[in-house]
Amino acid sequence: MVRYTGVLLLLLTAGCASVASVPQAAQPPVVATQAAPTQPVATPAAPTTTPPAPKPAAAPVTPATRPAAPRVAAPREPATPPVVAAPTAPAAPQTLDLNSLEAQLRATKAIGLFTKMSLKNKVDDLMQQFRDHYEGKTKRTMTDLRRSYDLLIMKVLSLLQDADQPLASAIVSSRESIWALLSDQNRFFTL
Amino acid sequence: MNRRTAVLLQSLVVLALFVVPSAAQDEEALRKDLTAVIALQGLPCGQVVAVEKKAESDYAVSCKDGHLYRVYLNAAGRVVVETRK
Repeated sequence: MVRYTGVLLLLLTAGCASVASVPQAAQPPVVATQAAPTQPVATPAAPTTTPPAPKPAAAPVTPATRPAAPRVAAPREPATPPVVAAPTAPAAPQTLDLNSLEAQLRATKAIGLFTKMSLKNKVDDLMQQFRDHYEGKTKRTMTDLRRSYDLLIMKVLSLLQDADQPLASAIVSSRESIWALLSDQNRFFTL
Repeated sequence: MNRRTAVLLQSLVVLALFVVPSAAQDEEALRKDLTAVIALQGLPCGQVVAVEKKAESDYAVSCKDGHLYRVYLNAAGRVVVETRK
């Protein structure tokens, strides 16, 4: 009987552990809405021995290791021009086409099923507004459409930014290219 | 208690330990989903605190601020949020 009690306690502990690990998605609320490349802050280096050369073109910087790179390149010597820090800054903004974006939105687990359907309704409504605008069926101007588009993007981003930050960043990156697609009548009708 | 009963009991305990948290997570996910849907429609709610399933894709929802809604998928494939009395 003591053995059973031990097993039961072990299982209870395991059950608690699995529940506690669930809200890991909401862990990084620090993420800002904009995925603009963070400025490499020139933090004064620790008073250790200064690096001989600030490691030019450190490596292909992956997003996970990005914060480490600018610290290494902290310009300690005032005479040397800070040429080195510049190449690491641009993080190769990835743009998406609509199909890829749609596929990723369908696949993400950050948004529930009902919310996805509701968003799809809104996208369809916006597309219909564009269609009506181009066919002269409405008095809605391009400025109005831009406002509606921005609002929809904001809604999507607010849903994604905490739970699927990479997709949120991708949407921010491709925001203008999608608008360019929608606001061009010829390209719009090829969609 | 013979050995077979003990094994059965153990299995049930294990099953309960894994199923109950999973159901709670599903419930929480549904609440969040419906909260987002209501917010997307621009309707006041705050947070969904109770959900009752009426039919497939048809829910009666109670909000933290006291608002009551029916959220369902209509025949045209649109998510509809209606105020309940």
